[in-house]
Amino acid sequence: MTHRLRLAGLVVSLAILACALFRIALSMPQFGRHPFPYGQAINRLAPAQRHVSNMVSAVTFDYRGFDTLGEEFMLVGAVSGAAILLRGFRGEQPTARPVQIPGRPVPPPSDAVMLIARLIGPLMMLFGLDVVLHATVTPGGGFQGGAVIASGTLLLWIGEGYRGWRSIVRTWWLDVVEGGGALGFALSGLIPLCFGGGFMENMLPYGKFRDMLSGGLMQIENASVALAVAAGFVLLFLEFLEETRAPEDDQQ
Amino acid sequence: MSLLLALLFLLAAAAGTGVVLSRDPRRQVMALAANGLVLGLLFLALQAPDVALSEVAVGTAAVPLLFLVAIASIRTDESRNQ
Amino acid sequence: MTLLPWLVAGWLLFVGCYGVVTSRHYVHLIGCLSVMQSSTYVLLLAIGFRWGAGPPIFYTHPPGTPAVDPVVQALVLTDIVVGATVTALLLALALQAHKKTGTLDPEAMRPMQR
Repeated sequence: MTHRLRLAGLVVSLAILACALFRIALSMPQFGRHPFPYGQAINRLAPAQRHVSNMVSAVTFDYRGFDTLGEEFMLVGAVSGAAILLRGFRGEQPTARPVQIPGRPVPPPSDAVMLIARLIGPLMMLFGLDVVLHATVTPGGGFQGGAVIASGTLLLWIGEGYRGWRSIVRTWWLDVVEGGGALGFALSGLIPLCFGGGFMENMLPYGKFRDMLSGGLMQIENASVALAVAAGFVLLFLEFLEETRAPEDDQQ
Repeated sequence: MSLLLALLFLLAAAAGTGVVLSRDPRRQVMALAANGLVLGLLFLALQAPDVALSEVAVGTAAVPLLFLVAIASIRTDESRNQ
Repeated sequence: MTLLPWLVAGWLLFVGCYGVVTSRHYVHLIGCLSVMQSSTYVLLLAIGFRWGAGPPIFYTHPPGTPAVDPVVQALVLTDIVVGATVTALLLALALQAHKKTGTLDPEAMRPMQR
């Protein structure tokens, strides 16, 4: 299929799709005046039912917890796939010397960068932990907090260099934390079945409204998701960074 | 339609176009980071602070870093083949 | 101009699709794919919006103040993080393709022969 044929096919199909999209846009309900009965019911009932004040977390972990189970396993599947692709080709030995690309100078480590990374990296991880813990009261949760914690770990890499970072971040406990997060979410769905409730039914005590530890089963699900997301992102960074290292023995 | 929301929507469309039109991968990384920031602002104006936090943390920090490291790995592989 | 959100979502989808089809570098293609993903986020959040309402967090406001839709926000929230992970998987695939064929140009790679 030549380049011109592909471009012509693209123009024709996008023109047809544009007409259809415009027709649909004309018959959409008015922006800002769309009725949403399910969301309004949750806004009205959830604070009294579950004692939480973050409706988005209530929907994610309790009312639509089954969808989040699927998303969580999608995340674990994608991270596992990337790890299999990259590790299977390279092996699992950690190396520490970067590859020398000829003609490209390597700048010496800078003191200012190291200072800023040492000041802000731990603060960022602490902030991520705060975002994770206050899932049911203020905007936050496992997904956002996990991403923030992973970014804080990267600041550690920028400050300490690869050797220092690699001596802290080891593959075996990253794998355990990632799998443990997914297992924790699945268990929080299966264990209520043993006690006579439905799948992922919220049977723990709900706690006080506007308290940090409110919501019952949502806290366990939230913690599992945070662990899996943080470990997943750090694992992905690790796998890609290992690709830029020279092998220990020069037999490749 | 308030002026702020209309401007933010148009800015989001412009940022997306900027990502597509920057063909060099190393320049596209910066365009992706700008796109993440603009989308975060748009989601904040649409009264969604959870989503804005997620978009800024992922789309401005994590995904451009992944792209940069992937480009570095590809360059390593090229230099190893020579 | 109440059509603006839907038109912007459609524009982002089209521009991303154009970028995917006419791309000459696999990493650029993956970036355009993430632009197409962001069009769905814009569409979903625009559907759940309501004039004069606040965010669906009742920490400082009492429960009962008008708020926007929390269901679409939950959908978009999980989707952003999982979409980033799938992007990483695609980047790993691009790296493997480079190792096998030595190039990252979609037009230079031929389909597998029998």
